Amino acid sequence: MRLERITMENFRQYYGRQRLTFSKDPQRNVTVIHGVNGAGKTSLFLAINWCLYGEGVSNVGELISKEAISRAQPGETVQTLVELAFTHNGERYLVSRRLSGVKQPDGSIAINSQDDFTMMRIQWDGQAQRVNNPIGTMNAILPSNVRTYFLFDGEKIDNFAKPEASDEVRYAIYNVLKLEVLTRARRHLEDVAAEYRRELKRVSTGELRELVEREEKARKEKEQALARKEELEREIESARRKIADIDQRLREIQDARALQQQRERIERDLKQRESELRELVEEIRGIATSSFVTIAHPAIERALAILDEKRERGEIPSNIRQQFIQDLIERLQCICGRPFELNSPEHDRLLALMNSSFPGSLEDEVLDTSAALRPLVERGQALKEGLDKAMRRRTNLLDLIQAREEELDDVRRQLKGSPQEEISRLEKQRQDFQADIESYRLEQGNLDTRIEALNKQIAELGKQIEKAKKAESKERLLTRKASLAQRAADAIDEMYQVFADEMRQRIEAETKKIFKQLIWKDSHFQDIRLGPDYNLEVIDRYGLPARPELSAGERQVLSLSFITAMARVSGEEAPLVMDTPFGRLSSYHRNSITEHLPELADQLVLFVTDEELRGEARRNLEPRIGAEYRLEFDRRTSCTEIIEVRS
Amino acid sequence: MLKDRLLELFKKYEQDVQQVVAEVLTLEQEHISMERPRVKEQIKDIIDRVVKDEA
Amino acid sequence: MTDTATSRDTVVIDEAVHEIYKQLTEGNDPANVPFRTMKDVFMWAACLGYRRGERRPLTGKRVTIFRWAQFSPQIDIPILKALAIADTGDINVLLNQDEVLTIAEEYANAGIHELRAGVLDQYGQPLWNLVAMLSDKEGI
Repeated sequence: MRLERITMENFRQYYGRQRLTFSKDPQRNVTVIHGVNGAGKTSLFLAINWCLYGEGVSNVGELISKEAISRAQPGETVQTLVELAFTHNGERYLVSRRLSGVKQPDGSIAINSQDDFTMMRIQWDGQAQRVNNPIGTMNAILPSNVRTYFLFDGEKIDNFAKPEASDEVRYAIYNVLKLEVLTRARRHLEDVAAEYRRELKRVSTGELRELVEREEKARKEKEQALARKEELEREIESARRKIADIDQRLREIQDARALQQQRERIERDLKQRESELRELVEEIRGIATSSFVTIAHPAIERALAILDEKRERGEIPSNIRQQFIQDLIERLQCICGRPFELNSPEHDRLLALMNSSFPGSLEDEVLDTSAALRPLVERGQALKEGLDKAMRRRTNLLDLIQAREEELDDVRRQLKGSPQEEISRLEKQRQDFQADIESYRLEQGNLDTRIEALNKQIAELGKQIEKAKKAESKERLLTRKASLAQRAADAIDEMYQVFADEMRQRIEAETKKIFKQLIWKDSHFQDIRLGPDYNLEVIDRYGLPARPELSAGERQVLSLSFITAMARVSGEEAPLVMDTPFGRLSSYHRNSITEHLPELADQLVLFVTDEELRGEARRNLEPRIGAEYRLEFDRRTSCTEIIEVRS
Repeated sequence: MLKDRLLELFKKYEQDVQQVVAEVLTLEQEHISMERPRVKEQIKDIIDRVVKDEA
Repeated sequence: MTDTATSRDTVVIDEAVHEIYKQLTEGNDPANVPFRTMKDVFMWAACLGYRRGERRPLTGKRVTIFRWAQFSPQIDIPILKALAIADTGDINVLLNQDEVLTIAEEYANAGIHELRAGVLDQYGQPLWNLVAMLSDKEGI
């Protein structure tokens, strides 16, 4: 930041509108403002602070010029305004803060609670653009927490060099070097990471793996069931072959042949009957499902009745269409060939018919629907008859099948009961194999049911897995976010100390450099140390801390060196604005400092009393002074006027 | 400049961490004057964006 | 009928009875699964509903079970129209395909329960139960 110009209106003892322009010349970078104590230096100093940050003011009510208040009428609004123009990183800014109030009848002023703060960016053609985030922007330019190290009160200048000042030193470094920024960043990132982790707990169910396991299990079971079915099929095959062998044997045996052949005949017949039965059941199903036509009979009858009624009511007979009537009318000839005349009763009747008939499409509908419904009545009847017939055939077939099975049983009994041991044995074996086949079939049937259920399960699980996969991808995203936030927080944590130490060491080196520069004549100081305990110490040639022996002036210089070192290391581009910096320095130190002070900052603004800047000190500074002002306080009006001394 | 030195220190970390750190530091700097700044939502936005870029 | 481009072409049932339709059509064994298509179930249910004299509007979530195109022009559609005419007493309903469909859907919504009771809730295989229902409807 480099100050350009301050404009004050009715600010404290500055009545009216007064302006002061700071020196920007890099060579002559010092602006000197003279004033005796009480002349208005403090107020001017305050104006800068108040304008930029709205801070530093204990009693806002005292800000508005008393002179301005006294001159105002009751009910009139009085305001105080401070405007500051500055540049930063090549951009020009204009900041203004305004506070107004209404004069009361009793002479006091009722202040508005809120002041008005605006920040504009000024382009080089003079156009101004309002800055949307003024506080954020100010924080990026020169945060309020570090301003006290740049805009400071000279009386307090030796604070850092006091023995008990380590806390203040640490605090200063902390703020100027943006360590607070790092700390906050780390803390907030930690919080965010924790929030993500909490949400992760809510979202994640660990379901996916379980679902996949279950699906696999179901598939495996299905595989096994299918395999078992096949195995059973082979067993059935094997049993059949064995039965075929036995059949063959029985055919070869004299006393069994006839029965065996009979059995074979019966079995063939049964097979055929069973096949017929299956077909019949299929046929019955077809008829039964179509038989809603039968069920619909009452509806069909009623609908036909209504449709017919419409037709019979003297409206168009069923087959005659509108177009036909139209033709008749045009030809003026009746359907029987007899001509009629315009406006005759016949003509009128035809016209009436045409107008009273249905709109074309409805008429078609009526005709088509009637036509379609009529055959359905018969169809319903036919279906019923067909069904009855089929059911009777079924009954017959079932009876026939039962009869055949009884015959079969008979054959079996005879063979089993044969006096010939071999026949009996073979037949028993055959029946065992047959029983086995039935068991196998039963088991197959159960497996089929199980497989169907498993298929359903697999399909259902498949759906759930899809859902869980979606949830998991949400989980993964949250995990990545949590990880990133945490890693960032950890990185800051790791780097914090490294950074802090590095900065401390650089400040130490820079402080030493500046200190030497400012008190360059003195050689009895060996070193400056700024340890991890943040004690700022001067080391004498014996290697011992020399601070107790420092004079007040030397302490001030040390503090000043420290401050400017901080400014340099932090790279903050900020003006050094000092109020009575030389007040307590010895003339020796004053002279020394004035020689080197201008080099310490890009821009220097010094508020001085006349005593402070005289003689050699003045001469030292002279070449670097780019602007000079005097604050003249008029005791009569209690107002200060800014007088320019040199430009 | 301080910020440059700071960012240099973080160069040993992965790209996404670097980006998050850089943006969050800028964000915090802008809000440094507030006692309790409400930056968490913005930090989440930064993380959202960097995670998506990674993907 | 009205321009089919603007009429509904899907037939819907109440979600609550979807399971019944599935039970009546899923499976292989004809004796156990009397119906092959949802359309057949629907036609049966609609005709039964008319015989009960009860139209039940659909209340819950709707499920599409088949499309209008499944109805045969010679048999199914004339019957649907017959139900509509018999219900409203007004032949103009023939011009409104949506209403014809709605009337059928509401009759089916009532009749499906009777169908289920007659076919699935009885002792014996579903196909024979269905056949029995037909002979019960004597006196037509």
